[in-house]
Amino acid sequence: MNKPWLTGAGILTSAVLLTGCSSSPAGTQAKQNPDAPLELWIRTTPGGPGEAATIKLAGGFEKATGKKVKVTAIFDDFETKLQQRAAQKNLPDIVLNDVTQIGTMHSQGLLREIDLDKIKSSKDITAQGLASGKSVDGKQFGLPYSAQASALMIRKDWREKLGLKAPQTWDEFAAMAKAFTAKDPDGNGKQDTYGLAAPLSTKRGYASWYFSNFLWAAGGDFITESGQGKYKPSMTTPESVKAVQWFRDLGCKDKAIQPGSVTMDTPPTNETFEAGKTGMYVVGPYLIPRFDKSLGKDKYEVVPMPKGPKDATVLAEGGSVYLMAGSDNQAGQDAFADYAVSAEGQKLGMQGTEGYIVQLPVNKTVDISTVRPDPRWKTYSDIYSASGRYAPSIPNWTPVRQTTAETINALVADCGLDTGAKLKELDAKLKAVLEEQGIAAS
Amino acid sequence: MSVDQVRPSANGSAAPSVRPPAGRPAKSRTRHSRRAGRWWTPWLFLAPALILFLYFKFIPMANAITMSFQDVQPYLGNKWVGTDNYATVLTSDGFREAAWHTIVLAVGQTTGCLVLGLALALLMEGQSRRLGVIRSAAFLPVVVPIAVVAELWRIMYHPTGDGMINSLLGLVGSGPSGFINDPHTSMASIMVTGIWRGAPYDMMIFLAGLGSVDRGLYEAAKVDGASRLQRVRYVTIPGLRSVFSILFILAAIRGLRVFTEVFLLTNGGPDGSTEVVMTLIYKLGLEQNRLGVGAAGAVLLFLATLVLTVCVHLFRRRGNE
Repeated sequence: MNKPWLTGAGILTSAVLLTGCSSSPAGTQAKQNPDAPLELWIRTTPGGPGEAATIKLAGGFEKATGKKVKVTAIFDDFETKLQQRAAQKNLPDIVLNDVTQIGTMHSQGLLREIDLDKIKSSKDITAQGLASGKSVDGKQFGLPYSAQASALMIRKDWREKLGLKAPQTWDEFAAMAKAFTAKDPDGNGKQDTYGLAAPLSTKRGYASWYFSNFLWAAGGDFITESGQGKYKPSMTTPESVKAVQWFRDLGCKDKAIQPGSVTMDTPPTNETFEAGKTGMYVVGPYLIPRFDKSLGKDKYEVVPMPKGPKDATVLAEGGSVYLMAGSDNQAGQDAFADYAVSAEGQKLGMQGTEGYIVQLPVNKTVDISTVRPDPRWKTYSDIYSASGRYAPSIPNWTPVRQTTAETINALVADCGLDTGAKLKELDAKLKAVLEEQGIAAS
Repeated sequence: MSVDQVRPSANGSAAPSVRPPAGRPAKSRTRHSRRAGRWWTPWLFLAPALILFLYFKFIPMANAITMSFQDVQPYLGNKWVGTDNYATVLTSDGFREAAWHTIVLAVGQTTGCLVLGLALALLMEGQSRRLGVIRSAAFLPVVVPIAVVAELWRIMYHPTGDGMINSLLGLVGSGPSGFINDPHTSMASIMVTGIWRGAPYDMMIFLAGLGSVDRGLYEAAKVDGASRLQRVRYVTIPGLRSVFSILFILAAIRGLRVFTEVFLLTNGGPDGSTEVVMTLIYKLGLEQNRLGVGAAGAVLLFLATLVLTVCVHLFRRRGNE
């Protein structure tokens, strides 16, 4: 009676086994072939300007070295697709992805260590840029090829109308935000403007990402290194508490943050700035082309963030070159990394008005104004060199960012909460996160 | 009608060839199978569908269950971690709240959709041609992509006095409400969005069900002196029993797996007030790139859905007996 069932299942099983055999095993040390074409993956929209710029950079590399590169752009589910390739033990040779991905990719064993002696141009990379590519054990696993830092964008016409000058201190910053909220800077007779545009959604940890610009300038920190790659939570230090309280007051007391901020990620927040609902926005240079088009170049200005209680530290981010494990062309990988951070590669990557993949150069010998004469880019570049600070390269930064984002989001959403108690809770959560990653200081 | 007529003969030829009834003489069996072909013929016909199911449903499901017991790191090789992933999900900060929020949202949306859907269906029952236009208009929310719906409601929920709904509230002298931006009203706001989107779907199924209620019963009730409300209470609603139970199962499953509208409108915020099981799994599993944890969460949710479905079935069967 059961025989037909069994045989039917047998046919299906053998079909599965046959197809299952097709993936070949690969060791970590693949046989080297210096002429093998390099496969490069970048996290950007397929068919978009980012892909075109990457192809241009790959073209420059081919011309300089004669080595071939095949570019693949993927945006949605980039990490999942990389995992699928990892499961086949056949990773792309090079991946261009966010700096903060280093921890996850390294702990999954996807990366190979970079020998800086083989990358001639690595000596020209900014100190903090080079450090951002080091894993928690101090080894080099990534090389930044593009940087970003945050600066303050201000509605110039609003500022001039109210007779204010660009803020130099946090007090002036708060005063300007208040004035933009209360004094009808657009002159339409309605109270419909707000000072600060802030994406404070928990999505992808936006609230934490945005707040880091304020936290670090106040001398606070999410987690602090206590030596030997161990960290302890530090959201209850006086500096951190003060920064949270000050930022919270902007929203709760002064009502100077745009309404709805706690459910907004960047796209709707960008719109509030473009639509003349908000007048101050702390963001990276990538929005310049967009705002020039939508708002007009003459309507807003870019200035450095004012000095906080400690200094003017802002969040630095960017993209890194990752050399993937198991490549059959390690010499080619090294050559590409070297080209991407070289003066020539950096300049090529910066060309164009929209389709560029290098926002700010990481190479100290490259002066951004030779490629982009617009002084606003120079402002950003100077801020990055002087005050840019990357998130630490712990094994997985995402949970830290998520957890802190949830607390910041809660504190701005519900003005009745007790700041101190909430931050104490946050520290306990951060401690659990650090313990899980095995980097908690005892 | 035609399906019912066809079915017995189709069964008659296919079923015996797979499982010949026991006790039938051997001679007649061989004659029968010669007529119907080899025993594996039906398998051969089923094979394309089965292979597709196997590859795109059963193997991924089995993989997900395996992954839920592993630390997934494809390149280094997955490591067995026993029930650690389940422990991570179940003991994670906020899991209990998320489970509670999911139940609240599921119950609220299901009830709201059923009530509003039934009301709409009763209002729009009939043959008039104009009703068709109105029905289509009422059905629109179901066919609009959820991303558009979320953006639409975000605009309507604008938390200041000049926001769309807030200006209406202002007319009656209340508000402005923070809606999705206020931890105290965010859950209700998401529920309303869900009901707005789900009710017309229920309405369509109710309309189909209403067509099958015997007209004679209405007339008999009318003759007996039943008021309009009594007719709905004693004729329509009992007549729609099976429709209710199917809608209830569908809505409950949909409710447990609610994700997109929450993700797009609030992503679980503000202050975790709208965190549901799916958004939590998404955060723990996918955003943090811990696929094992994500798989464990998905398996848990699958089990919950399974239990719920079985319970509703048992309940229904008992009710029918």
